[in-house]
Amino acid sequence: MKITLMVWRQKCCKEQGKIEKFVVDNVEEDMSFLEMFDILNERLILEGKDPIAFDHDCREGICGACSMTINGVPHGHEHGTTTCQLHMRKFKDGDTIYVEPFRNKAFPVIKDLVVDRTAYERIMQAGGFVSVATGNAKDANNLPISKENADLAMDAAACIGCGACASSCPNGSAMLFVSAKVGQFALLPQGQPERKRRVLAMIKQMEKDGFGGCTNMYECEAACPKNVSVRFIAKMNRDYLRASLFTKSK
Amino acid sequence: MGLLSYLKSTILSKWVMAITGCILVLFICGHAVGNLQILLGSDTYNTYAAFLQGLGEILWIIRIGLFVCLVLHLITSIRLKLLNNSARPTAYQYKSFLKAKLTSRTMIWTGIMIFAFLTYHLLHFTAGVTNPVEYDQHEVVINGKSGIAQEIPNDPRILAQLPPTLQTTTVDGKLYAVQEEVKTAETRHDVYKMVVLGFRNPITSLVYIIGVILLGFHLSHAIQSMFQTAGFNHPKYTPWIIQGSNALAVIVVLCLISIPITILTGLVGGTI
Ligand code: HEM
Ligand code: FES
Repeated sequence: MKITLMVWRQKCCKEQGKIEKFVVDNVEEDMSFLEMFDILNERLILEGKDPIAFDHDCREGICGACSMTINGVPHGHEHGTTTCQLHMRKFKDGDTIYVEPFRNKAFPVIKDLVVDRTAYERIMQAGGFVSVATGNAKDANNLPISKENADLAMDAAACIGCGACASSCPNGSAMLFVSAKVGQFALLPQGQPERKRRVLAMIKQMEKDGFGGCTNMYECEAACPKNVSVRFIAKMNRDYLRASLFTKSK
Repeated sequence: MGLLSYLKSTILSKWVMAITGCILVLFICGHAVGNLQILLGSDTYNTYAAFLQGLGEILWIIRIGLFVCLVLHLITSIRLKLLNNSARPTAYQYKSFLKAKLTSRTMIWTGIMIFAFLTYHLLHFTAGVTNPVEYDQHEVVINGKSGIAQEIPNDPRILAQLPPTLQTTTVDGKLYAVQEEVKTAETRHDVYKMVVLGFRNPITSLVYIIGVILLGFHLSHAIQSMFQTAGFNHPKYTPWIIQGSNALAVIVVLCLISIPITILTGLVGGTI
Protein backbone atom coordinates (compact mmCIF):
# COMPACT_ATOMS: atom_id res chain seq x y z
CA MET A 1 0.00 0.00 0.00
CA LYS A 2 1.04 3.56 -0.65
CA ILE A 3 -0.09 6.00 2.02
CA THR A 4 0.37 9.76 2.04
CA LEU A 5 0.70 11.10 5.57
CA MET A 6 0.08 14.73 6.47
CA VAL A 7 1.73 14.89 9.87
CA TRP A 8 1.85 17.73 12.39
CA ARG A 9 5.47 18.67 13.09
CA GLN A 10 6.38 20.93 15.97
CA LYS A 11 9.90 21.20 17.41
CA CYS A 12 8.79 22.02 20.94
CA CYS A 13 5.98 23.43 22.97
CA LYS A 14 6.61 27.10 22.29
CA GLU A 15 7.34 26.87 18.57
CA GLN A 16 4.85 27.16 15.72
CA GLY A 17 4.04 23.82 14.15
CA LYS A 18 2.91 22.90 10.66
CA ILE A 19 1.69 19.97 8.61
CA GLU A 20 4.42 18.08 6.73
CA LYS A 21 3.80 15.60 3.94
CA PHE A 22 5.35 12.11 3.86
CA VAL A 23 4.75 9.36 1.33
CA VAL A 24 5.15 5.83 2.70
CA ASP A 25 5.33 3.19 -0.05
CA ASN A 26 5.87 -0.13 1.61
CA VAL A 27 2.88 -0.23 3.98
CA GLU A 28 1.42 -3.67 4.58
CA GLU A 29 -2.19 -4.34 5.48
CA ASP A 30 -1.25 -6.20 8.66
CA MET A 31 0.79 -3.36 10.07
CA SER A 32 -0.64 -1.30 12.86
CA PHE A 33 -0.85 2.45 12.46
CA LEU A 34 2.13 2.84 14.78
CA GLU A 35 4.19 0.29 12.83
CA MET A 36 3.71 2.43 9.76
CA PHE A 37 5.23 5.30 11.74
CA ASP A 38 8.07 2.99 12.81
CA ILE A 39 9.11 2.26 9.23
CA LEU A 40 8.71 5.91 8.28
CA ASN A 41 10.90 6.90 11.23
CA GLU A 42 13.55 4.31 10.34
CA ARG A 43 13.72 5.87 6.90
CA LEU A 44 13.90 9.40 8.31
CA ILE A 45 16.76 8.35 10.61
CA LEU A 46 18.68 6.79 7.69
CA GLU A 47 18.15 9.99 5.74
CA GLY A 48 19.59 11.92 8.69
CA LYS A 49 16.28 13.69 9.41
CA ASP A 50 14.45 14.18 12.65
CA PRO A 51 12.08 11.22 13.25
CA ILE A 52 8.47 11.97 14.16
CA ALA A 53 7.93 11.89 17.91
CA PHE A 54 4.84 9.97 19.04
CA ASP A 55 3.68 8.36 22.28
CA HIS A 56 3.29 4.61 22.64
CA ASP A 57 3.89 1.93 25.22
CA CYS A 58 1.92 -1.31 25.46
CA ARG A 59 0.78 -1.44 21.83
CA GLU A 60 -2.04 -3.70 22.88
CA GLY A 61 -4.71 -1.17 23.70
CA ILE A 62 -4.43 -1.14 27.48
CA CYS A 63 -2.09 1.65 28.53
CA GLY A 64 -3.62 4.63 26.74
CA ALA A 65 -0.26 6.09 25.77
CA CYS A 66 -0.75 6.23 22.01
CA SER A 67 -2.31 9.56 21.15
CA MET A 68 -2.80 10.52 17.54
CA THR A 69 -5.72 12.32 16.00
CA ILE A 70 -6.26 10.49 12.72
CA ASN A 71 -8.37 12.29 10.12
CA GLY A 72 -9.87 14.49 12.81
CA VAL A 73 -10.73 11.74 15.29
CA PRO A 74 -8.54 10.68 18.24
CA HIS A 75 -7.46 7.08 17.57
CA GLY A 76 -9.09 7.29 14.14
CA HIS A 77 -12.57 6.53 12.85
CA GLU A 78 -12.48 2.82 13.75
CA HIS A 79 -14.91 2.31 16.62
CA GLY A 80 -13.58 1.24 20.03
CA THR A 81 -9.95 0.97 18.90
CA THR A 82 -6.74 2.60 20.10
CA THR A 83 -4.23 3.90 17.55
CA CYS A 84 -1.87 1.02 18.35
CA GLN A 85 -4.63 -1.48 17.56
CA LEU A 86 -5.70 0.24 14.37
CA HIS A 87 -4.57 -1.76 11.37
CA MET A 88 -3.69 -0.45 7.95
CA ARG A 89 -6.21 -2.80 6.32
CA LYS A 90 -8.82 -0.26 7.44
CA PHE A 91 -7.33 2.15 4.88
CA LYS A 92 -7.10 1.97 1.11
CA ASP A 93 -4.04 2.08 -1.11
CA GLY A 94 -3.41 5.69 -2.09
CA ASP A 95 -5.20 7.21 0.93
CA THR A 96 -4.09 10.54 2.36
CA ILE A 97 -4.28 10.57 6.13
CA TYR A 98 -4.03 13.61 8.42
CA VAL A 99 -2.27 12.92 11.71
CA GLU A 100 -2.34 15.60 14.39
CA PRO A 101 -1.65 15.61 18.12
CA PHE A 102 -4.50 15.46 20.66
CA ARG A 103 -5.52 19.10 20.83
CA ASN A 104 -6.48 20.79 24.05
CA LYS A 105 -5.41 23.78 26.07
CA ALA A 106 -4.86 21.34 28.95
CA PHE A 107 -2.69 19.04 26.78
CA PRO A 108 0.20 21.20 25.53
CA VAL A 109 2.26 19.76 22.68
CA ILE A 110 5.71 18.59 23.79
CA LYS A 111 6.96 17.60 20.36
CA ASP A 112 5.27 16.60 17.09
CA LEU A 113 2.49 14.22 18.13
CA VAL A 114 3.45 13.97 21.80
CA VAL A 115 1.32 15.94 24.24
CA ASP A 116 1.56 16.44 27.99
CA ARG A 117 -1.42 14.71 29.56
CA THR A 118 -0.56 15.22 33.22
CA ALA A 119 -3.78 17.24 33.47
CA TYR A 120 -5.61 13.89 33.69
CA GLU A 121 -3.25 12.79 36.44
CA ARG A 122 -3.91 15.98 38.38
CA ILE A 123 -7.62 15.21 38.16
CA MET A 124 -6.95 11.70 39.53
CA GLN A 125 -4.82 13.12 42.32
CA ALA A 126 -7.65 15.46 43.26
CA GLY A 127 -9.95 12.59 44.20
CA GLY A 128 -9.73 9.52 41.98
CA PHE A 129 -8.96 7.15 44.84
CA VAL A 130 -10.29 5.60 48.03
CA SER A 131 -8.25 6.88 50.98
CA VAL A 132 -8.92 4.17 53.55
CA ALA A 133 -6.60 1.19 53.53
CA THR A 134 -8.88 -1.70 52.69
CA GLY A 135 -6.54 -4.45 53.93
CA ASN A 136 -6.41 -7.94 52.49
CA ALA A 137 -8.96 -9.33 50.10
CA LYS A 138 -12.09 -10.23 52.06
CA ASP A 139 -14.34 -13.17 51.67
CA ALA A 140 -16.12 -12.58 48.38
CA ASN A 141 -19.60 -12.45 49.86
CA ASN A 142 -18.81 -10.19 52.82
CA LEU A 143 -19.69 -7.13 50.84
CA PRO A 144 -22.68 -7.77 48.61
CA ILE A 145 -22.59 -5.84 45.32
CA SER A 146 -25.28 -6.34 42.73
CA LYS A 147 -24.23 -7.85 39.45
CA GLU A 148 -25.60 -4.80 37.59
CA ASN A 149 -23.51 -2.39 39.63
CA ALA A 150 -20.42 -4.57 39.43
CA ASP A 151 -20.76 -4.71 35.64
CA LEU A 152 -21.38 -0.98 35.33
CA ALA A 153 -18.43 -0.17 37.58
CA MET A 154 -16.33 -2.42 35.37
CA ASP A 155 -17.55 -0.58 32.25
CA ALA A 156 -16.47 2.70 33.83
CA ALA A 157 -13.16 1.25 34.93
CA ALA A 158 -12.44 0.28 31.32
CA CYS A 159 -11.29 3.88 30.84
CA ILE A 160 -7.56 3.94 30.10
CA GLY A 161 -7.26 7.71 30.57
CA CYS A 162 -5.88 8.25 27.08
CA GLY A 163 -7.38 11.73 26.60
CA ALA A 164 -9.38 10.91 23.47
CA CYS A 165 -12.63 12.16 25.02
CA ALA A 166 -11.37 15.66 25.75
CA SER A 167 -9.51 15.76 22.43
CA SER A 168 -12.51 14.74 20.36
CA CYS A 169 -14.98 16.97 22.20
CA PRO A 170 -15.67 20.17 20.25
CA ASN A 171 -15.64 21.90 23.66
CA GLY A 172 -12.44 20.25 24.84
CA SER A 173 -14.34 18.79 27.79
CA ALA A 174 -12.94 15.96 29.90
CA MET A 175 -16.35 15.00 31.28
CA LEU A 176 -16.32 11.43 29.95
CA PHE A 177 -12.99 10.69 31.63
CA VAL A 178 -13.96 12.32 34.93
CA SER A 179 -17.38 10.69 34.92
CA ALA A 180 -15.85 7.26 34.37
CA LYS A 181 -13.43 7.75 37.24
CA VAL A 182 -16.12 9.19 39.51
CA GLY A 183 -18.60 6.58 38.35
CA GLN A 184 -16.52 3.50 39.10
CA PHE A 185 -16.34 4.50 42.78
CA ALA A 186 -19.88 5.85 43.02
CA LEU A 187 -21.19 2.40 42.09
CA LEU A 188 -19.26 0.50 44.75
CA PRO A 189 -19.54 0.52 48.55
CA GLN A 190 -15.89 1.46 49.03
CA GLY A 191 -16.47 4.69 47.14
CA GLN A 192 -19.39 5.94 49.27
CA PRO A 193 -17.68 7.74 52.19
CA GLU A 194 -15.85 10.14 49.89
CA ARG A 195 -18.46 10.25 47.15
CA LYS A 196 -19.47 13.91 47.42
CA ARG A 197 -16.02 15.22 48.18
CA ARG A 198 -14.57 13.25 45.26
CA VAL A 199 -16.90 14.55 42.57
CA LEU A 200 -16.51 18.15 43.72
CA ALA A 201 -12.72 17.93 43.88
CA MET A 202 -12.26 16.18 40.54
CA ILE A 203 -14.56 18.57 38.69
CA LYS A 204 -12.88 21.54 40.32
CA GLN A 205 -9.50 20.31 39.11
CA MET A 206 -10.92 19.63 35.64
CA GLU A 207 -12.13 23.21 35.40
CA LYS A 208 -8.89 24.58 36.80
CA ASP A 209 -6.94 22.81 34.07
CA GLY A 210 -8.94 24.63 31.42
CA PHE A 211 -11.11 21.84 30.04
CA GLY A 212 -14.45 22.96 28.61
CA GLY A 213 -17.97 22.01 29.65
CA CYS A 214 -20.16 19.26 28.27
CA THR A 215 -22.95 20.19 25.82
CA ASN A 216 -24.08 16.61 25.20
CA MET A 217 -22.77 16.23 21.67
CA TYR A 218 -21.50 12.73 22.53
CA GLU A 219 -18.42 12.99 20.32
CA CYS A 220 -16.40 11.60 23.26
CA GLU A 221 -18.41 8.38 23.40
CA ALA A 222 -17.92 7.86 19.67
CA ALA A 223 -14.15 8.41 19.91
CA CYS A 224 -13.54 6.48 23.15
CA PRO A 225 -11.38 3.43 22.39
CA LYS A 226 -12.94 1.66 25.39
CA ASN A 227 -16.58 2.51 24.56
CA VAL A 228 -17.21 4.26 27.86
CA SER A 229 -20.81 5.44 27.78
CA VAL A 230 -22.09 8.99 28.30
CA ARG A 231 -24.45 7.43 30.85
CA PHE A 232 -21.68 8.08 33.36
CA ILE A 233 -21.81 11.79 32.56
CA ALA A 234 -25.53 11.81 33.31
CA LYS A 235 -24.89 10.01 36.60
CA MET A 236 -22.15 12.45 37.51
CA ASN A 237 -24.37 15.45 36.76
CA ARG A 238 -26.74 14.15 39.42
CA ASP A 239 -23.95 13.37 41.86
CA TYR A 240 -22.42 16.78 41.37
CA LEU A 241 -25.66 18.67 41.95
CA ARG A 242 -26.35 16.68 45.10
CA ALA A 243 -22.80 17.22 46.33
CA SER A 244 -22.93 20.99 45.64
CA LEU A 245 -26.25 21.38 47.40
CA PHE A 246 -25.61 19.17 50.40
CA THR A 247 -21.94 19.42 51.26
CA LYS A 248 -21.16 21.45 54.34
CA SER A 249 -17.46 22.18 53.91
CA LYS A 250 -16.28 23.94 50.78
CA MET B 1 -21.60 37.80 42.21
CA GLY B 2 -23.92 36.07 44.67
CA LEU B 3 -26.73 34.54 42.67
CA LEU B 4 -24.62 34.21 39.55
CA SER B 5 -21.79 32.34 41.30
CA TYR B 6 -23.11 29.10 39.80
CA LEU B 7 -21.48 30.30 36.56
CA LYS B 8 -18.11 29.25 38.00
CA SER B 9 -19.09 25.62 37.66
CA THR B 10 -19.75 24.17 34.23
CA ILE B 11 -22.04 21.47 35.61
CA LEU B 12 -24.15 23.88 37.65
CA SER B 13 -24.29 26.10 34.56
CA LYS B 14 -25.60 23.13 32.62
CA TRP B 15 -28.27 22.57 35.24
CA VAL B 16 -29.33 26.20 34.89
CA MET B 17 -29.44 25.76 31.09
CA ALA B 18 -31.60 22.68 31.49
CA ILE B 19 -34.02 24.12 34.08
CA THR B 20 -34.51 27.47 32.34
CA GLY B 21 -34.68 25.66 28.99
CA CYS B 22 -37.32 23.27 30.34
CA ILE B 23 -39.51 26.16 31.51
CA LEU B 24 -39.14 27.80 28.09
CA VAL B 25 -40.02 24.52 26.38
CA LEU B 26 -43.17 24.16 28.48
CA PHE B 27 -44.07 27.74 27.62
CA ILE B 28 -43.47 27.25 23.90
CA CYS B 29 -45.70 24.15 23.85
CA GLY B 30 -48.50 26.11 25.53
CA HIS B 31 -47.87 29.08 23.26
CA ALA B 32 -48.10 26.89 20.14
CA VAL B 33 -51.32 25.17 21.20
CA GLY B 34 -52.88 28.43 22.39
CA ASN B 35 -52.20 30.24 19.16
CA LEU B 36 -53.30 27.34 17.02
CA GLN B 37 -56.80 28.43 18.10
CA ILE B 38 -56.56 31.04 15.37
CA LEU B 39 -57.68 28.23 13.05
CA LEU B 40 -60.97 28.13 15.01
CA GLY B 41 -61.85 31.65 14.00
CA SER B 42 -61.88 35.18 15.26
CA ASP B 43 -64.21 34.82 18.23
CA THR B 44 -62.42 31.87 19.85
CA TYR B 45 -59.04 33.44 19.28
CA ASN B 46 -59.92 36.86 20.62
CA THR B 47 -61.66 35.32 23.63
CA TYR B 48 -58.44 33.40 24.35
CA ALA B 49 -56.41 36.60 23.96
CA ALA B 50 -58.79 38.48 26.25
CA PHE B 51 -58.54 35.66 28.79
CA LEU B 52 -54.74 36.02 28.84
CA GLN B 53 -55.00 39.80 29.21
CA GLY B 54 -57.55 39.29 31.95
CA LEU B 55 -55.04 37.36 34.04
CA GLY B 56 -53.68 40.71 35.17
CA GLU B 57 -50.98 40.27 37.82
CA ILE B 58 -50.68 36.57 37.06
CA LEU B 59 -49.81 37.43 33.46
CA TRP B 60 -47.07 39.71 34.73
CA ILE B 61 -45.71 37.06 37.06
CA ILE B 62 -45.54 34.64 34.12
CA ARG B 63 -43.92 37.26 31.89
CA ILE B 64 -41.30 38.17 34.46
CA GLY B 65 -40.59 34.50 35.18
CA LEU B 66 -40.09 33.75 31.50
CA PHE B 67 -37.93 36.81 31.08
CA VAL B 68 -35.70 35.79 33.98
CA CYS B 69 -35.38 32.28 32.49
CA LEU B 70 -34.48 33.69 29.10
CA VAL B 71 -31.88 36.06 30.50
CA LEU B 72 -30.28 33.36 32.67
CA HIS B 73 -30.33 30.96 29.70
CA LEU B 74 -28.66 33.58 27.50
CA ILE B 75 -26.00 34.69 29.99
CA THR B 76 -25.12 31.11 30.89
CA SER B 77 -24.90 29.94 27.30
CA ILE B 78 -22.56 32.78 26.33
CA ARG B 79 -20.32 32.20 29.33
CA LEU B 80 -20.17 28.44 28.57
CA LYS B 81 -19.45 29.09 24.90
CA LEU B 82 -16.54 31.41 25.71
CA LEU B 83 -15.12 28.86 28.13
CA ASN B 84 -15.54 26.00 25.66
CA ASN B 85 -13.89 27.98 22.88
CA SER B 86 -10.90 28.71 25.08
CA ALA B 87 -10.43 25.00 25.83
CA ARG B 88 -9.12 24.36 22.29
CA PRO B 89 -6.89 27.27 21.28
CA THR B 90 -5.44 25.44 18.24
CA ALA B 91 -8.07 23.99 15.94
CA TYR B 92 -7.68 20.69 14.14
CA GLN B 93 -6.65 21.07 10.49
CA TYR B 94 -8.80 18.11 9.53
CA LYS B 95 -12.28 18.36 11.01
CA SER B 96 -14.49 15.36 11.36
CA PHE B 97 -17.48 14.55 13.57
CA LEU B 98 -18.75 11.11 14.42
CA LYS B 99 -21.75 11.83 16.61
CA ALA B 100 -21.93 15.60 17.08
CA LYS B 101 -24.79 16.72 14.85
CA LEU B 102 -25.23 20.05 13.12
CA THR B 103 -28.04 20.86 15.56
CA SER B 104 -25.93 20.13 18.65
CA ARG B 105 -22.91 22.03 17.34
CA THR B 106 -24.89 25.16 16.50
CA MET B 107 -26.93 25.58 19.70
CA ILE B 108 -25.42 28.95 20.53
CA TRP B 109 -26.00 30.28 17.00
CA THR B 110 -29.57 29.06 16.67
CA GLY B 111 -30.09 30.38 20.21
CA ILE B 112 -28.82 33.85 19.44
CA MET B 113 -30.89 34.02 16.26
CA ILE B 114 -33.95 32.92 18.25
CA PHE B 115 -33.22 35.74 20.68
CA ALA B 116 -33.11 38.26 17.83
CA PHE B 117 -36.34 36.85 16.41
CA LEU B 118 -37.97 36.89 19.82
CA THR B 119 -37.11 40.56 20.30
CA TYR B 120 -38.73 41.37 16.95
CA HIS B 121 -41.75 39.20 17.78
CA LEU B 122 -42.36 41.01 21.07
CA LEU B 123 -41.96 44.45 19.45
CA HIS B 124 -44.30 43.34 16.66
CA PHE B 125 -47.24 41.71 18.42
CA THR B 126 -46.84 42.39 22.15
CA ALA B 127 -45.69 46.01 22.20
CA GLY B 128 -46.99 47.05 18.75
CA VAL B 129 -43.89 49.08 18.04
CA THR B 130 -42.95 47.85 14.58
CA ASN B 131 -46.40 48.03 12.94
CA PRO B 132 -48.53 50.39 15.05
CA VAL B 133 -51.36 50.69 12.50
CA GLU B 134 -51.92 46.94 12.16
CA TYR B 135 -51.53 46.56 15.91
CA ASP B 136 -54.29 49.06 16.70
CA GLN B 137 -57.33 46.84 16.02
CA HIS B 138 -60.38 46.69 18.25
CA GLU B 139 -63.70 44.95 18.07
CA VAL B 140 -66.97 45.57 19.86
CA VAL B 141 -68.41 42.83 22.01
CA ILE B 142 -72.13 43.06 22.70
CA ASN B 143 -73.65 40.73 25.31
CA GLY B 144 -70.43 38.68 25.15
CA LYS B 145 -70.68 38.19 21.39
CA SER B 146 -68.38 39.68 18.81
CA GLY B 147 -69.24 40.55 15.22
CA ILE B 148 -72.91 41.39 15.79
CA ALA B 149 -72.53 45.16 16.04
CA GLN B 150 -72.12 47.41 13.04
CA GLU B 151 -70.57 50.84 13.27
CA ILE B 152 -72.79 53.61 11.90
CA PRO B 153 -72.06 57.29 11.38
CA ASN B 154 -73.46 59.58 14.06
CA ASP B 155 -75.65 61.45 11.57
CA PRO B 156 -79.28 62.34 12.55
CA ARG B 157 -80.52 61.77 8.97
CA ILE B 158 -79.22 58.21 8.90
CA LEU B 159 -80.37 57.52 12.43
CA ALA B 160 -83.89 58.62 11.47
CA GLN B 161 -84.00 56.02 8.70
CA LEU B 162 -82.94 53.09 10.89
CA PRO B 163 -85.54 50.30 11.21
CA PRO B 164 -87.13 50.35 14.70
CA THR B 165 -85.91 46.80 15.49
CA LEU B 166 -82.32 48.03 15.61
CA GLN B 167 -80.79 49.14 18.89
CA THR B 168 -78.00 51.64 19.00
CA THR B 169 -75.23 51.90 21.54
CA THR B 170 -72.16 54.03 21.99
CA VAL B 171 -68.87 52.37 22.85
CA ASP B 172 -65.64 54.35 23.13
CA GLY B 173 -67.27 57.34 21.47
CA LYS B 174 -68.44 55.41 18.39
CA LEU B 175 -72.01 54.56 17.51
CA TYR B 176 -73.06 50.97 16.78
CA ALA B 177 -76.26 49.36 15.58
CA VAL B 178 -77.24 45.94 17.00
CA GLN B 179 -80.12 43.56 16.28
CA GLU B 180 -80.76 42.65 19.93
CA GLU B 181 -81.24 44.35 23.22
CA VAL B 182 -77.89 45.60 24.54
CA LYS B 183 -77.09 44.35 28.03
CA THR B 184 -73.31 44.71 28.01
CA ALA B 185 -71.13 46.51 25.53
CA GLU B 186 -67.35 46.71 25.49
CA THR B 187 -64.40 46.79 23.12
CA ARG B 188 -61.44 44.42 23.12
CA HIS B 189 -58.18 44.16 21.24
CA ASP B 190 -58.86 42.43 17.92
CA VAL B 191 -55.81 40.20 18.06
CA TYR B 192 -57.15 38.05 15.25
CA LYS B 193 -57.25 40.95 12.83
CA MET B 194 -53.86 42.20 13.99
CA VAL B 195 -52.26 38.80 13.36
CA VAL B 196 -53.98 38.35 10.01
CA LEU B 197 -52.96 41.80 8.76
CA GLY B 198 -49.45 41.25 10.13
CA PHE B 199 -48.93 37.95 8.34
CA ARG B 200 -50.44 39.19 5.07
CA ASN B 201 -47.03 40.79 4.56
CA PRO B 202 -44.98 37.99 2.99
CA ILE B 203 -41.70 39.34 4.37
CA THR B 204 -43.01 39.37 7.93
CA SER B 205 -44.33 35.84 7.44
CA LEU B 206 -41.00 34.70 6.05
CA VAL B 207 -39.16 36.11 9.08
CA TYR B 208 -41.52 34.18 11.36
CA ILE B 209 -41.20 30.96 9.38
CA ILE B 210 -37.40 31.15 9.48
CA GLY B 211 -37.40 32.06 13.18
CA VAL B 212 -39.63 29.11 14.03
CA ILE B 213 -37.56 26.66 11.99
CA LEU B 214 -34.43 27.82 13.84
CA LEU B 215 -36.33 27.23 17.07
CA GLY B 216 -37.06 23.72 15.81
CA PHE B 217 -33.36 23.02 15.26
CA HIS B 218 -32.63 24.30 18.76
CA LEU B 219 -35.36 22.19 20.32
CA SER B 220 -34.52 18.94 18.54
CA HIS B 221 -31.21 18.81 20.39
CA ALA B 222 -32.32 20.77 23.46
CA ILE B 223 -35.12 18.54 24.68
CA GLN B 224 -33.12 15.33 24.69
CA SER B 225 -30.07 17.16 26.00
CA MET B 226 -32.10 18.39 28.95
CA PHE B 227 -32.68 14.82 30.10
CA GLN B 228 -28.98 13.98 29.90
CA THR B 229 -28.05 17.12 31.85
CA ALA B 230 -30.58 16.29 34.51
CA GLY B 231 -28.95 12.89 34.86
CA PHE B 232 -31.52 10.78 33.10
CA ASN B 233 -29.86 8.40 30.68
CA HIS B 234 -31.02 4.82 30.43
CA PRO B 235 -30.39 2.42 27.55
CA LYS B 236 -34.04 1.48 27.55
CA TYR B 237 -35.51 4.98 27.43
CA THR B 238 -32.87 7.27 25.94
CA PRO B 239 -33.49 6.20 22.31
CA TRP B 240 -37.15 7.09 22.81
CA ILE B 241 -36.26 10.41 24.41
CA ILE B 242 -34.17 11.27 21.35
CA GLN B 243 -37.01 10.32 19.00
CA GLY B 244 -39.49 12.19 21.17
CA SER B 245 -37.29 15.27 21.21
CA ASN B 246 -37.15 15.36 17.42
CA ALA B 247 -40.87 14.67 17.13
CA LEU B 248 -41.84 17.38 19.62
CA ALA B 249 -39.60 19.89 17.83
CA VAL B 250 -41.30 19.08 14.52
CA ILE B 251 -44.77 19.34 16.07
CA VAL B 252 -44.01 22.74 17.62
CA VAL B 253 -42.63 23.98 14.30
CA LEU B 254 -45.65 22.73 12.33
CA CYS B 255 -48.12 24.27 14.79
CA LEU B 256 -46.40 27.63 14.73
CA ILE B 257 -45.68 27.94 11.01
CA SER B 258 -49.18 26.83 10.12
CA ILE B 259 -50.36 30.28 11.29
CA PRO B 260 -48.47 32.48 8.77
CA ILE B 261 -48.97 29.85 6.06
CA THR B 262 -52.74 29.59 6.44
CA ILE B 263 -52.99 33.38 6.55
CA LEU B 264 -50.79 33.87 3.47
CA THR B 265 -52.86 31.35 1.53
CA GLY B 266 -56.10 32.99 2.66
CA LEU B 267 -57.36 29.94 4.57
CA VAL B 268 -57.44 31.98 7.75
CA GLY B 269 -58.76 35.54 7.84
CA GLY B 270 -59.59 35.55 4.13
CA THR B 271 -62.73 37.60 4.72
CA ILE B 272 -60.99 40.52 6.43
C1 HEM C 1 -32.01 33.69 24.15
C2 HEM C 1 -31.90 32.85 23.16
C3 HEM C 1 -31.28 31.50 23.38
C4 HEM C 1 -29.95 31.20 23.43
C5 HEM C 1 -28.79 32.14 23.23
C6 HEM C 1 -29.86 29.78 23.68
C7 HEM C 1 -28.68 29.08 23.74
C8 HEM C 1 -28.59 27.76 24.10
C9 HEM C 1 -27.39 26.99 24.12
C10 HEM C 1 -26.01 27.48 23.70
C11 HEM C 1 -27.69 25.75 24.58
C12 HEM C 1 -26.75 24.59 24.76
C13 HEM C 1 -26.22 24.67 26.15
C14 HEM C 1 -25.53 23.43 26.54
O1 HEM C 1 -25.86 22.37 26.02
O2 HEM C 1 -24.66 23.54 27.41
C15 HEM C 1 -29.09 25.73 24.86
C16 HEM C 1 -29.77 24.66 25.38
C17 HEM C 1 -31.14 24.62 25.54
N1 HEM C 1 -32.04 25.57 25.12
FE1 HEM C 1 -31.58 27.40 24.47
N2 HEM C 1 -31.11 29.26 23.80
C18 HEM C 1 -32.02 30.28 23.62
C19 HEM C 1 -33.40 30.20 23.63
C20 HEM C 1 -34.10 29.06 23.96
C21 HEM C 1 -35.54 28.94 23.93
C22 HEM C 1 -36.51 30.03 23.49
C23 HEM C 1 -35.83 27.68 24.36
C24 HEM C 1 -37.15 26.99 24.54
C25 HEM C 1 -38.20 27.23 23.87
C26 HEM C 1 -34.59 27.01 24.67
C27 HEM C 1 -34.48 25.75 25.17
C28 HEM C 1 -33.30 25.11 25.45
C29 HEM C 1 -33.19 23.85 26.12
C30 HEM C 1 -34.33 22.98 26.64
C31 HEM C 1 -31.83 23.53 26.18
C32 HEM C 1 -31.22 22.24 26.73
C33 HEM C 1 -30.42 22.46 27.97
C34 HEM C 1 -29.47 21.31 28.17
O3 HEM C 1 -28.67 21.01 27.29
O4 HEM C 1 -29.53 20.70 29.23
N3 HEM C 1 -33.55 27.86 24.41
N4 HEM C 1 -29.63 26.97 24.56
S1 FES D 1 0.11 1.99 23.12
FE1 FES D 1 -0.91 1.32 24.89
S2 FES D 1 -2.97 1.70 24.34
FE2 FES D 1 -1.96 2.17 22.51
